[in-house]
Amino acid sequence: MRNLHRFLRIFLVLILLGLGCTSNNHSGEKQGVIFLTYWPSANQYEINLAAQEVKEWNATHPKIQIKMQPIPASQSSEEVLLAAIAGKTTPDICSNIWPGTMGQFTRAGAVVQLDTFPDFDSLLTARVPPKIADGCRYLNGHFYQIPWKTNPVMIQYNINMLKDVGIDTFPKKYSQYLEVGRKVTRDLNGDGQVDQWMSYVDVREKWWTRFFDFYPFYIAASGGKTLLKGKEVIFENRASVGVFKFFQEGFNEHIFPRARFQIDPFLTELVASRFTGPWEILHTEKYKPKDLKYDFAPIPLPDSLKGPSYTYGDPKNIVIFKTTKHPKQAWQFVKFLVSRKNDLSLLKICGQLPVRKNILSDSLFASYFRKNHHMAKFAQMIPFSRGVDAVPEMKEIFDAISLEFEACAILGKRTPEDAVKRAGKRCRQILME
Amino acid sequence: MPTNFNGMKKLGKNRKKNNKAAYWMVSPYIIYFLIFMAYPLIFSVVLVFNKWDIVSPMHWIGLKNIIRLFHDQLFFQSLINTGIFLIIHIPLQIFLALIFAVLLNEKIAGRLFFRAVYFMPVVISGVVITILWQQLYSEQNGVLNMILFHLGLPKIPWLRSPSLAMPSIALMATWKNVGLYIILFLAGLQSIPKYLYEVADIDGATGFDKFIRITIPMLNPTMILVVILSTLGGFSLFIEPYVLTGGGPMGHTMSTVLYIYKEAMLFGRMGYAASLAFVYTLIIFAVVLIQRKVIEQES
Repeated sequence: MRNLHRFLRIFLVLILLGLGCTSNNHSGEKQGVIFLTYWPSANQYEINLAAQEVKEWNATHPKIQIKMQPIPASQSSEEVLLAAIAGKTTPDICSNIWPGTMGQFTRAGAVVQLDTFPDFDSLLTARVPPKIADGCRYLNGHFYQIPWKTNPVMIQYNINMLKDVGIDTFPKKYSQYLEVGRKVTRDLNGDGQVDQWMSYVDVREKWWTRFFDFYPFYIAASGGKTLLKGKEVIFENRASVGVFKFFQEGFNEHIFPRARFQIDPFLTELVASRFTGPWEILHTEKYKPKDLKYDFAPIPLPDSLKGPSYTYGDPKNIVIFKTTKHPKQAWQFVKFLVSRKNDLSLLKICGQLPVRKNILSDSLFASYFRKNHHMAKFAQMIPFSRGVDAVPEMKEIFDAISLEFEACAILGKRTPEDAVKRAGKRCRQILME
Repeated sequence: MPTNFNGMKKLGKNRKKNNKAAYWMVSPYIIYFLIFMAYPLIFSVVLVFNKWDIVSPMHWIGLKNIIRLFHDQLFFQSLINTGIFLIIHIPLQIFLALIFAVLLNEKIAGRLFFRAVYFMPVVISGVVITILWQQLYSEQNGVLNMILFHLGLPKIPWLRSPSLAMPSIALMATWKNVGLYIILFLAGLQSIPKYLYEVADIDGATGFDKFIRITIPMLNPTMILVVILSTLGGFSLFIEPYVLTGGGPMGHTMSTVLYIYKEAMLFGRMGYAASLAFVYTLIIFAVVLIQRKVIEQES
């Protein structure tokens, strides 16, 4: 019996020790050396980039050592970060922050206010186009994130598939796009089934799928507006109705298939185009058939609209978490991450664009863009790209829009006017709750 | 007398010592119960009256979550969706399980093999099965639509049609779980005394008569168990719509559990999700209670 008691006591102590010692934050200070933890995205390209940057930093900063650890695997990095905030196990620095979650992080007091650093304003002004910088401002007017990279959504199209139907330049307006779509979409083998489409839209009812259809089209059609102004809904307008109508027509005429594909429909030439970002260049080059020729074009505009085509920038930003004991040193490392040299590495290693003003005229990047003309097209879109509004309810807002988009555009069960009105009403409710 | 007193004292001491040992023995479960069951339950009651997104401090809002719930159309739609699922799933499951159980109770070749095969989906992960069915239901190149196409029939949007999506999910869930209920019915069938059938044979009863007048009434206790288990299982519908449809099309496969999950884990509305969960628990409790009363009365 005594042995049993002893065993149970040891067992309990081990459990409590185990519970008490589960922290993955390796930050701190030892013998005058400051240790900071940095979480980059978990995709292999970004891990390679981070490893290179951290190696260089650690070699040149013996008193501030960085430990790089990719964001732990989960369904989304936002979930991991929320869990880390709740458990107070956040890293010192993280570079994969979607601005849509920043509202929640900021409201929770989880991130460091960056504009308290004396050189923040000068760095921001020198690096980031003013409209993009403004979009990163929290509701209280302060900055808690620094724009890092952007992946403007454009249209990747198959040159030969369009040539086959007599099209040399990609359509710029809705009516032209639909007209070309009608030509491209056809039954090739005469079995009574369509087996080639103009483009592909993700028909799943997931809030984030709208980043690649409704949202970039809305930003383009509204001349660069986002969904909200502060906490006021501003998307209930002609631009949204036009976008819903465009997609509804596309689905009704089977230009966009309502089904999902188990394989990459662009690389297998089932669709002639897709809405995507610059990451697709590396992927396409790696997996495309030899004879597939492709290019990129901006999002088409409503027929009546003139001017540049804006788009969704799919930005990811950098933050310093409040759990850090060394915010100044963390800020130094952040400045290093957004330096010109590392921005070039981001392009070269990850095939993603840094949010940087005049990147096309900067001599450091010139030779890269000369060799990568596809990426240059995306770089041209940087001043015309927009992010998402920094409110904590962003996911819910996209979810509400997604529900109406599906009902109206994909399934044709509602008129565009009704769907936009309903989405607007629901979003106002969400923002009021 | 003093000897007896001493004996009792010793007995008392031993009992105390035994009690102490017993407490130590049950302590792991008590700790588990307190940490993983009692604490979350109490905490979720607290959440009902608070607004909390996990990362921000909790904010007392009184009955606002409950009031919101009664105006939430999506919640009511999720209840209707779950109801539709149950209406299709439970009768279909009982019917199929009973038929297969009766067949597998006969002395047929490969009986053991078939029993194992029918039970196999029960032990396979729900996610794996759902992904497999996703391929079957695929509109473009799914097996079901390929068969229809070769028969000259139009393809069916199994998971995209608002009216077909939930029945498709119910069919899949039935296929996955029917094995368990076959086993339960088999156990029930084997406990029916053989002489009842022998007497019926002497009276000239047909196979159908025996099934209706002997098998079904004698299976009543199993039936109650199956109905309650499949109702509870149906109420907790989550994996299938989560993986297959994400709640779409137009929210027609948004089960209540999936809706609660979305509110809590996606939108960080922990307080509201806790309120939804509480009301849902009461609904389940009421349904099971009514079900039990009805079945008991009928039997």
